[in-house]
Amino acid sequence: MKRQVLLAMALCAPTTLATAQVKLPPYTREALPNGTVIYLLPRTGLPLVSFRVLVKGGAESEPASLAGLSAVTAELLRRGTAGHTAAQFSEDLDGLGGTFFAGTDEQSTSITAEFLKKDFDRGIALVSEAALHPAFPEDEVRKALSRRLDGLRSMKDNPGGAINSYYRSFFFGSTHPYGHVPDEASLDHIRRDDILAYHKRMYVGRNLIVIVAGDFDPAAAKARAAETFGAAPAGTAYAWMADQAPTRNTSPKVLLIDKPDATQTYFIIAQPGVRRATPDRVALMLVNTLFGGRFTSLLNEELRVKTGLTYGASSRVEMARLTGGLYISTYTKTETTEKAIDMALDILKRLQEKGITAEQLASAKAYTKGTYPPERLQTVDEIAQVLGEMELFGLGRDEVDQLFARVDAVTLDQANDAIKRYYRTGNLTFVLLGNASKIRDLAKKYGPQVVERTARQPGWAM
Amino acid sequence: MRFLIGALVVCSILLAQDTRLAQDTKTQTLSNGMKVIVQEDHGIPNVAMYFFYRIGSRNERPGATGLSHFFEHMMFNGAKKYGPGQFDKRMDDSGGNNNAYTSNDVTVYTDWFPSTALELMFDMEADRIRDLAFDPKIIESERGVVYSERRSSVDNSNGGMLQELARATAFIAHPYHWPVVGWPSDIESWTMDDLKAHFAMGYAPNNCVMVMVGDVHFDQVMQLARRYLEPIPRHDPPPPVRTKEPPQQGERRVTLSKPAQLPLQIVLYHVPEATNPDVPVLDVIGTLLTQGQSSRLYTRMVDKEQLVLGVFGGVQDALDPTVFSFNMQPRSGVDPATSEKVLYEELARLESEPVPEAELRKAKNQMLANLYRQLKTIQGRANLLGSYEVFQGDYAKLFARDKTIEAVTPADIQRVARQYFSAKNRTVATLVPEKAEVKQ
Repeated sequence: MKRQVLLAMALCAPTTLATAQVKLPPYTREALPNGTVIYLLPRTGLPLVSFRVLVKGGAESEPASLAGLSAVTAELLRRGTAGHTAAQFSEDLDGLGGTFFAGTDEQSTSITAEFLKKDFDRGIALVSEAALHPAFPEDEVRKALSRRLDGLRSMKDNPGGAINSYYRSFFFGSTHPYGHVPDEASLDHIRRDDILAYHKRMYVGRNLIVIVAGDFDPAAAKARAAETFGAAPAGTAYAWMADQAPTRNTSPKVLLIDKPDATQTYFIIAQPGVRRATPDRVALMLVNTLFGGRFTSLLNEELRVKTGLTYGASSRVEMARLTGGLYISTYTKTETTEKAIDMALDILKRLQEKGITAEQLASAKAYTKGTYPPERLQTVDEIAQVLGEMELFGLGRDEVDQLFARVDAVTLDQANDAIKRYYRTGNLTFVLLGNASKIRDLAKKYGPQVVERTARQPGWAM
Repeated sequence: MRFLIGALVVCSILLAQDTRLAQDTKTQTLSNGMKVIVQEDHGIPNVAMYFFYRIGSRNERPGATGLSHFFEHMMFNGAKKYGPGQFDKRMDDSGGNNNAYTSNDVTVYTDWFPSTALELMFDMEADRIRDLAFDPKIIESERGVVYSERRSSVDNSNGGMLQELARATAFIAHPYHWPVVGWPSDIESWTMDDLKAHFAMGYAPNNCVMVMVGDVHFDQVMQLARRYLEPIPRHDPPPPVRTKEPPQQGERRVTLSKPAQLPLQIVLYHVPEATNPDVPVLDVIGTLLTQGQSSRLYTRMVDKEQLVLGVFGGVQDALDPTVFSFNMQPRSGVDPATSEKVLYEELARLESEPVPEAELRKAKNQMLANLYRQLKTIQGRANLLGSYEVFQGDYAKLFARDKTIEAVTPADIQRVARQYFSAKNRTVATLVPEKAEVKQ
């Protein structure tokens, strides 16, 4: 029942006071002979130690027909290893009060695990065994794939969650790796051999980043990391894909997903954005804060605060390794669908035409600096996440240590220039999910050709 | 964060003795009855400021359900000194952020901000507690916002809709019967007078606990509290909730038919309020059954027999007797009757066989480690301190939580399982997917 929490940027929700620049605490970075990069960030306080293991690749590294391969591989790491059955692994982990999560995003697989300080050795043994020596038993593979198929059904029963997958599939399309959203067909194609081959190719020293953060002895930790992760085969470094920016539409595109029992319409309005390493990232972070990244943003102010059309309206600039999307996202009751879409488009148009004021920019800077420390640097696992991003995206520690200076340095002209270039108003991509019988005619208003699907059909937009 | 907790040897370390948590937490009550709890932590230059008001949907009446939650929204829409939108705007401009939540029992306002904004926050909070504005136009607009929230969390969410139905079936007399967000017809009908009456009832300083954790000093906080909050006059808190839920005398079953690809199932059992000594035992049971991939229900239902996609179980703190809830999503092709039967078999096993010592140790370790995880952030600590003060009657009980968990025995688990997990005491709600293919 909370008030809406708005997402700022995909990766960064920066900030603190104009006065004090926050800095990363001391840490070490070292590459082991097999290529594994080890970060050690010791900090006493809570008797906890957290491990973050990143494997380069992620969704980008999957064959198109096997979308979901990296995620299934990650899920199965703990379901049977060289030394433990799945049940034994879970017993050991839970017995220590530890946590272990593995998942994937556009460019990496990440394992995050946390143990009590006293269990450091057992913790790193469990994590490294899962990462490096999984057995992928046939029955576990079968169970995981079958569960994922039902997971798709469950997701499609819930429009708020499903719309994002429809957006990715439709906006990026079948030729872009980010458009390969796992579906019934791709899960059906995945075989145990694919998983074994993927693990062998990707989970190698040259693709590994291991971050240890919390209360531990650095010398002992280094030795344990060398014994475990240092023993992985060096392998071949994953060759990152060349950027392939989504091209701007030559005319508007509309996808309509029919869910006949829906009483509200969910919609996303998208256009090409940026990649994480873009030099425009700080300016865009500030601009997006104002446009749709916080409670008092232009979008939320109009669509929620002033008109009560929705519980929340936001915008997002995706920050992945390859160029992603920049989109508006909200929902409203079926009857006010047109009003809400037109209002969102109008706010976008005003932003494009008029830009922002010096006062707005100052507010975004203060907000960014004030919210960064509690959101990104408060706990060691948050800092570990920041370090992982720096390594993955090839950014230096200035990403944090100079953040406030970079924020302060953004001029009004630079911010308005970023708006001109990125927040465009023509040939947009629309994704609408709702009761099609009531919004089918309206959908045509936003684009001459509407692609229509139902929430019961297998697959996403393709 | 310099906050120290010490080692968790077999996990049975004493929170209070071993950590600075207790020493670093200080309290004082203002002359108007508002209790202030402060924990200093200078790890980051930020502060978490939480206000817990002892008013929630249990203090409502038919015809005005959801009013506490609606009121929560109205608290951001302007007061005397800081007009509409100013609370959020001034906060954003200062690098702060906020949120709020309403439950059956409490309404909680949560502010996070750089410590330089401390005095502004006191001024703005005092302003809205003392002199909230009621603008008819804003009320209409916010009504739309709340209805949209209901559409998202209930009307267009299978889980939300089933949850609402299950609780309304389990409670027939007590106000836990109605949803926190309110029935649709009530959302459409609240009046200005309802709002004003609600404000007068619930927002007395003597009905509130303020918790502050972070980069502040106790003396400085008390000085500001005396200047800004103490002048607000005390008045009568909400009247006691008189209605008690009569004991349930037989299983209740209810179904929800809805277009869906997968069914859903919720099973509720009546259990006592948060201060009852059986509640920590129920917490251990929830952990044994559903926490982690080695838990009993995950192992059997999700993994071995592949009956459900997921299973969750537990009880939330409540001021009045409440329910222990199990939520499951049966897999495609699985008859919900089958997953339901397996749940009952596992509950019966808790009654008939003592839980092995090692398994109990595991559950306790999980609970203690999770407690430590909630202490990592200033927000987490502010929320825990306030919740213990409101639901346990004393925030210091947080420091004894480890001992409370440690004291639970296998015999306690058998006794508590027998007492509450009976067929007579349960409510079963099932979402039955409408099979007919909907028209394209």
